[in-house]
Amino acid sequence: MGQEFYEELKADIGREGERLVAEDEVCKPMIRHWCEAMQDGNPLYTDEEYASNSKYGGVIAPPQMILTWTMPPLWPPVERPPHPFEQFLKKMDEAGFYGILITNVAQKYLKPLYPGDRINFTYKVTDVSPEKKTSLGVGHFITATFIFNNQKGETVGTQSLTVLKYRIGP
Amino acid sequence: MDWKSLCWEDVEEGQEFLTVAMDVSCTTVIAGAIASRDFTPVHHDRDFAQGAGLKDIFMNNATICGLVGKYLADWMGPEGELKEISFRIGTPCFPGDTMTMTGKVVKKYTDGDQHLVDVEYEFNVPEGRNCGGTGTLALPARAH
Repeated sequence: MGQEFYEELKADIGREGERLVAEDEVCKPMIRHWCEAMQDGNPLYTDEEYASNSKYGGVIAPPQMILTWTMPPLWPPVERPPHPFEQFLKKMDEAGFYGILITNVAQKYLKPLYPGDRINFTYKVTDVSPEKKTSLGVGHFITATFIFNNQKGETVGTQSLTVLKYRIGP
Repeated sequence: MDWKSLCWEDVEEGQEFLTVAMDVSCTTVIAGAIASRDFTPVHHDRDFAQGAGLKDIFMNNATICGLVGKYLADWMGPEGELKEISFRIGTPCFPGDTMTMTGKVVKKYTDGDQHLVDVEYEFNVPEGRNCGGTGTLALPARAH
């Protein structure tokens, strides 16, 4: 099964899903909430006077918050349209690779995010490894890349996530 | 508070960052998950986490990203810019762990008018390495 299944998986690389828009604009309350949780005292994020005198001209969001703006709501739950990455993971579930583990994270920051910016994103699977033996079981490493734009259509950042989808057991 | 920023000229390849130790509590783990809008139960529901075979709730990836960014930004100061980070995830960080953060400069170079520094860092918890990876920072330069 291995090689044929792998070829099937590879055929889906690069297919981009629908562009999804954040519910909320980048905003100071969420920035402050993040900084309190992370114990991050960087004045660019919460000190309006400091930030106004900086090259940014005002408060910006911590770059690492990039994924936060587009996270799905807790309630009411929304059904997002099936996305290539989710469909990929489902295909792997159906082939018996139930286990999932995030192994790598990468973020690139291209433009600062200011309060008032509205983020949208799309994502696609960008890499699949051949079947590999790991300590958790046999599986494939799948990398998905998220591309975040602002309301002007400028790409503000990207995130890559590598996930191991594996068959539990030897 | 006086926020100093490093200049590119003052940084040396091989230079190590100060070690930072953060005590991680249940509140730290849950606050980070909620602030990053990650409501996955393994990050706030102990019964659920233990049902899934884990010792306890554990820190989510977005919080690890947050702390990596903070560690690097605190080292370089607010005039530096974080360009990218990339890391492998290892042992989970559980409530009660102390997260010990270390890092160093590995390369110093220019690219057009940007003055860049490549760094490596590692976050360790008592049971092993939570994450380890690389980053690229742009620092202000005195000479133009």
